[in-house]
Amino acid sequence: MFKFLKKVQQTDSKSEPEAVHTKLDKNAQHIKQLFSYGLNKDFTFRELTAKYSQEKIEIYYYSSIVDANKVYDAIVRPLLESEGKQIRDVIVAESVKEITDFEQATEHINSGKAIIFEDGNNTAYSIDVAKFEYRGIGKAENESTIRGPQEAFTESLNVNVSLIRKRMHDKQLVTEGKQVGARSKSEVNIVYVKDLVNEEILKSVRERLDNIEADNVRNLELLEQFIEERPYSLVPTVLFTERPGNATSYLEDGHIIILMNNSAGCLIVPVTFWSFFHSPEDRYLRFLFGNFSRLVRMLAFYLTTMISATYIAITNFHSAMLPPDLLLAITASRERVPFPLIFEILIMEIAFELIREAGIRIPNPLGPTIGIVGALILGQAAVQANIISPIIVIITAVSGLTSFAVTDVSINYSVRITRFIFIFSAGFLGIFSLMGAFLAWFMYVASIKSFGVPFFAPLSPSYRSPHDTLFRKAIRNEIWRPGQIKPKDIRKKANSK
Amino acid sequence: MRLKTIILIIMLIPLFLVGCYDKKELEQQAYVVAIGVDKTDEKGLYKFTFQIANPEVGSAIVGGGSQEEPKETVSIKGSDILTATNTANSFVSREITLDHTKVLIASEELARSGDFIRIMQSTARTTQIRRGVQILVSKEDASEFLQNINPKMETRPHKYYQLILDRAKETGIIPEAEIHRFFQITEGDADLFLAIYATNKKAKEKDDGYEDEYVAGQLPKEGGNNSQFMGSAVFKEGKMIGTLDGQETRLAHVFDPTLDMDDLLSTYPDPIKEEFRIGADYSQKSSPEINIEYNKNKPTKINVRVPFQIEIIAIPSLVDYSQNKDNKELLKKTIEESLEKKSRELIRKTQEEYKAEPFYWSLYIRKYFKTIEEYEEADWNKNIYPNAEININFDLERLEFGKMLNDSNLTEVRD
Amino acid sequence: MKDHKTLKTRELFAMMTIFVGMKLADTTPSLLSSKASNAFWMIPIISFIVIIPSFLLLIFLLKKYKDKNLIQLLEAILGTYLGKALGFTIFLSAFLSLSLDSRNYVEQIKLLYFPESPTTILYFVFIGVAFIGAKKGLEVIGYSSWIGLPLIKFSMLLMAFLIFDRIILLRIFPIFGDGLDVVLTQGIKKASIFSELFLFTIAYTAFKDTNTFRKGSYLGSFVVIFEITFFFLLYTLVFDYNSVGKVAFPFHDITQYINFGDYFTNVETFFMVFWLLAAYMRFIIFLYLIAWIFAAVFNIKEFEPLILPFAFFTIIIGMIPDNTLLNDLFYRDRLLNYMTPLFISFPIILWIVAFFKGDLKKT
Repeated sequence: MFKFLKKVQQTDSKSEPEAVHTKLDKNAQHIKQLFSYGLNKDFTFRELTAKYSQEKIEIYYYSSIVDANKVYDAIVRPLLESEGKQIRDVIVAESVKEITDFEQATEHINSGKAIIFEDGNNTAYSIDVAKFEYRGIGKAENESTIRGPQEAFTESLNVNVSLIRKRMHDKQLVTEGKQVGARSKSEVNIVYVKDLVNEEILKSVRERLDNIEADNVRNLELLEQFIEERPYSLVPTVLFTERPGNATSYLEDGHIIILMNNSAGCLIVPVTFWSFFHSPEDRYLRFLFGNFSRLVRMLAFYLTTMISATYIAITNFHSAMLPPDLLLAITASRERVPFPLIFEILIMEIAFELIREAGIRIPNPLGPTIGIVGALILGQAAVQANIISPIIVIITAVSGLTSFAVTDVSINYSVRITRFIFIFSAGFLGIFSLMGAFLAWFMYVASIKSFGVPFFAPLSPSYRSPHDTLFRKAIRNEIWRPGQIKPKDIRKKANSK
Repeated sequence: MRLKTIILIIMLIPLFLVGCYDKKELEQQAYVVAIGVDKTDEKGLYKFTFQIANPEVGSAIVGGGSQEEPKETVSIKGSDILTATNTANSFVSREITLDHTKVLIASEELARSGDFIRIMQSTARTTQIRRGVQILVSKEDASEFLQNINPKMETRPHKYYQLILDRAKETGIIPEAEIHRFFQITEGDADLFLAIYATNKKAKEKDDGYEDEYVAGQLPKEGGNNSQFMGSAVFKEGKMIGTLDGQETRLAHVFDPTLDMDDLLSTYPDPIKEEFRIGADYSQKSSPEINIEYNKNKPTKINVRVPFQIEIIAIPSLVDYSQNKDNKELLKKTIEESLEKKSRELIRKTQEEYKAEPFYWSLYIRKYFKTIEEYEEADWNKNIYPNAEININFDLERLEFGKMLNDSNLTEVRD
Repeated sequence: MKDHKTLKTRELFAMMTIFVGMKLADTTPSLLSSKASNAFWMIPIISFIVIIPSFLLLIFLLKKYKDKNLIQLLEAILGTYLGKALGFTIFLSAFLSLSLDSRNYVEQIKLLYFPESPTTILYFVFIGVAFIGAKKGLEVIGYSSWIGLPLIKFSMLLMAFLIFDRIILLRIFPIFGDGLDVVLTQGIKKASIFSELFLFTIAYTAFKDTNTFRKGSYLGSFVVIFEITFFFLLYTLVFDYNSVGKVAFPFHDITQYINFGDYFTNVETFFMVFWLLAAYMRFIIFLYLIAWIFAAVFNIKEFEPLILPFAFFTIIIGMIPDNTLLNDLFYRDRLLNYMTPLFISFPIILWIVAFFKGDLKKT
C-alpha cells in the first residue's frame, strides 16, 4: 500500500493534483466538480457542525456503496455529540486516514469510504464505511466433489480471505495488497505463507502485477491473462479454483494465491500439468480410492484426446489391426455411408461441440431441450439417415463423455483443441503422422514453464517432492513439499526426523 | 509472428491435400480369409483362389443384405499371389486385402510338384501375409476345396477356420503349420515340415481303424459338413513326400519338444479281455527327454524318454484295473508297449521311407558343432538320422482312474 | 525463477538408451546377421569390449579437464586448428550416419506401413517432427525421453514376453555360427555401432554436475549393451540361423508374427506406436547433438537456428541412395567400418598428447 502511494506521489509531482484547501467552500466546490455532483445521483454529502470545534464539516460519499448506519454511528453521531481537541479524538472508527490531496480523496470515495472536510483544516479524513453488495457463500458448482468441504469462494475479497484464514491458522500467512489498473484501481491480494514461499517467484508475481498496463482489470479471469507468460500457448499456466480448501492446500505447499474482488475463485501460481490433472477429491478419498479415481481420469485424458484420432488412423490406414469380426462389423456399417470416415468423425465431433456450447449458453428453463435435440441428432436420426455409421456414435460419445472427466475448465479447452489437431494428423498419414503430432504436442507442453517451473515437474525434471504426479502417496508418507517450486522449508513434517 | 504463422499454414495446406496415399476406406476393401493355390498346365502359372468374407452377412447393424452369400470364392490365374489380386479386380469390385488371411491352401498336386516353395517365397516378401498363417494341403484342387466348404454353424468363414484349426490342433490330429515354421524348417534343411491335411471329398472309408488312425477323407462319419481336417502332409525341402495319419501326427507332437498338444483322448488295447479297448486321457507334463550321442563314424545313438500320465476314462470290459495291483501293472505295461510299438513303426517309416524326421530333433545335434559349416557338412538329414539307432522309451508316471473307484459289477446288475 | 541445468542422471540415461538402444529395432541386426548368421548376437558384445576403453578414456579426460565439452576438450588438448579439424571429422561422420540412418528408418516405415506414399513426403514428415522436437532444446528432449522411456521399454518387454513361447533355445547352436573369426572381425569392424555414445560428450557440461553425466553414461551404455544383446539373441532364437540373415526387419517381423490371444492377431500397429515414438526421439536427439557439435566447432553461440538447415541437408543427403538395400548393405556398412577406427583412436590420441603435454599430472 505504502509503496503504491509513493508511486502515486511521484507521478503527482508532474501533474500536481490539487491539494486540500483550508477553506471548506473551495474543497466542496472542487470535489463536487470532480464527481459531477447533481448529475451523479448517488454521490451524496452531508453538512453539519461539529460539537468539539464548532466548525462546519462536510462528509462526502457514494450512498450506494456505504453502510448508512455506519455513516451515522461512526461519523455523524460522534461529530454531533462528542467532545475533544481534534477530529481524531472524536472519530474513533478503526480506519481513519489523513488525506492531503484530491487524487487520494477521489480514490477513497471510489472504494467506499467517506471523506470529511473541515473548515479551516487542510487535511481531510477518510473513514471506511464501505458496504459492497456480494453474493453469499455458495456451493462449489464447477468443481464438484462428493466428500470434502462444499464452500466456494464468493465475489468478495474479504470473505475469500476469511475463508482461507479459517482453514489456516498461521501467523506467517500474509495477504499482501496491491492495486492494478490505471483508471479504476482494483485491489489484488497476494496470499502466501511467508516462511515457505520462494522469494524469486513472489518477486516475479509482484513484478507482473506492477507491469500490468490497463485502465481496468475487473476480475481474476482477466488478471490471469495479464500475468501469464505465453498468451498464445495451448495450455494454461495459471490454475483457477473456486474451492478454498484446494487453495489452502496449495498455500501449505508454498504456492502463491491471488485473490480479487468480483471473482468467485482464486488464482494459484506456479502450477504444473499435474495441478490441472488432480482433483481436490483425490486427497479427501483414501489412498487406494483416490488413486483409482486418478487412474480413471488418466484413461479419460487419453481417450478424449486420442480415441477419435486412433479410430481414424486404424480404420483408414491400419485396418489389419482390427480383429476380423470387428472389422467386418465396421465395414458393414459403413457400406451405405456417403462420406469418408474422417468426415464422419468430424461431423459428430463438431455436433458434439455445438451441443456443448449451446448447453452452456442456453437459459436454464430451456435446458432439457438440449438433451432431447442432442440425443436425436447425435444418436438415432443421424444413423438412420445413413449419414454416419453407428460405431462413430460410440466413438464420439466416448470421446465427448471422457472430456468431462477433465475437470479444469482451461485444460478442458486445451484437450478439446488438441483432439482436433490429432484427428487431422491421423487423417494425414495414420499412426505415423499421429505419433509425430503427439510427440510434437507433448514436447511443446513439456517446454511450457509456469513462473519458471517446468510443466511436467516433478516427474521430469525430478525434484525432492511428494511425487504427487499420476498417483499420490499415502498422506502420512508425504514428507516433502513439492521441490519444483523451491519452498524455503521443504520438509512437511515438523517433528519427524 | 504473423508472417511466421502464415508461412506455416501455407506449408501445411499442401500436406493435407496430398495426404491420402495409403488411406483406404474400409468398405473399399475385400478381406480375403483363405487363399488357395493350384497347378495349371503351364509352368510358372498358377491358379489362385481367394475366399472373401462378405461383411454384410452376420452383422446385426445392417438390416438388408441377408440374402447375400457369407463369402465369395473366386479363382484367377497368375504367377504370384499379389499380382493375382490385381487381376482379380477385373471382377471383384474392391481392393483385395490379404491382411486377414487365416489359411493358405495348396493342392496336393502342387505340393508334390516342388513348385510350392516358389509360391511361399513370394509370401515372405509381402507384409500382408503374416507369419502366423496356417499351411494346408488339400487332397483335391484347392479351388474345389474352397468352393465346397460349407460350415453349418459358423456364418463367417474366418470364424470357421479359426475355430476348426484351433480345436483340431489342440487334439493333436493336425500339426501346427505356420508359415514361420515352414521357413525355419525348410531353410534349416534338416527336418520335415508337417502341413495340415484336409479334404472335402470322401475317399474309400476305412472302417477298421481306431479313433485317430485316419487321414482326411477316410473318416466314416454321418452328418456334419463334408470338410475333414485330419493328419498331415509331410514336406521335405519344400516338397510334399507323403502323409501321416492322425495318430502319427499325434506321435509327432509327442516327440517334438517345440509343439504342444492339450487334449489327447485315445484308446488302448485291453490286456485281459482283448476284444475290448480302454479309453484314456493321455497327458504330458514335461517335454520328452532327447539325448543324442553323436558319433562321427559309427551310427549316432538317439535315446528318447517320454514321461507321461494316463487317466482312464472308460473300461468297457469292466475288468477291475483300479483295485487289483497285478491288473494295474499289466495295464501300465500294455499302454507303454502299445505306444512304443506305434512309435517304432513311425520311426521306421521316417527313417526308411522319408529318410528324415518330422520331430525337429536336428536341434539336439547342433551343440556338437561349433560352426554352421561343420554342422551342415555332418548332414543330419542324409547321414546322421537315417542311420541312427533310435531308442524310444515311454514312461508312465501316473495312472489314474477318474472319479469312480470301481465299475459297476455287471453280473450283479444283470441279476 | 531461474533454474538452469535441471538435467540429471536419469535424463541422460533415458536419452542414451533411446538413442543407442533403438539399434535393436532397426536394420542393424540384419546388417550383422547377414554376416555372422546365428552368432550375430555376440557382435555387440565384442564391439562394446572394443570400444568401451576409448569411451572411458574420453570420459576420464573430460573429468581431468573439467567443465569442457567434447570440442572444447579437443581444442584444449590438440590446439585450436587440429582440435577443430578433428571435431569437424567427427561431425562429418556423425552427420553422414544421421542422413543414412534416417533414410533407412523412412524406408522401413514406407515398406512396412505406407507402401504407396512417396518417400519424400514421409521423409519430410519424419525429419519435420524431429526438427520441431530438437528445436525445443536439450532440457525438453531430456524430460520427454525420461517420460517416454517406460512406454518404449514396456512395449519391447511385452514383445519379448509374447514371443517367448515361440523361441527355441537350442537354435543358439552351432554356437559360433559362421565361425569365430567372422564374429570377431565383424565385432571389431562394427564397433562404431556404439559410436553414438561419444556424441553425448558434447553435452558434458549441460548437466547438473559432471558427476551425473558420468553416472548416466556408464549406466546408459551398460543397459544398452545388455538390451541389444538380449534382443539380438531373441532374433536368433526366433528365426534360426538360415532365416535370420534374410529377414530385413527382425523387430517388425516379430511384431507381425505375435498376437494377443485369438482375437487380436495383427497387433504390429500397437508396437509400431512405441517404435515410432522411439524413432522420433532418436532423431530428435541425433539432430540436436549434431547441430551442437557443428556450432561448437565453428564457435557459433546460438546454434538452435542451425537445426533447420541441418534437418534440410539430412533429407537431401538421405535421398541420394537409390534404394534401401543399397543404402543399408553398402553405404551404411561401409560408413560403420570407416567410423570404427576414428572413434576408437581419437580418445587414445588425445590421451597420449595430453600425457606428453603433462596436463594429466596437474591436480
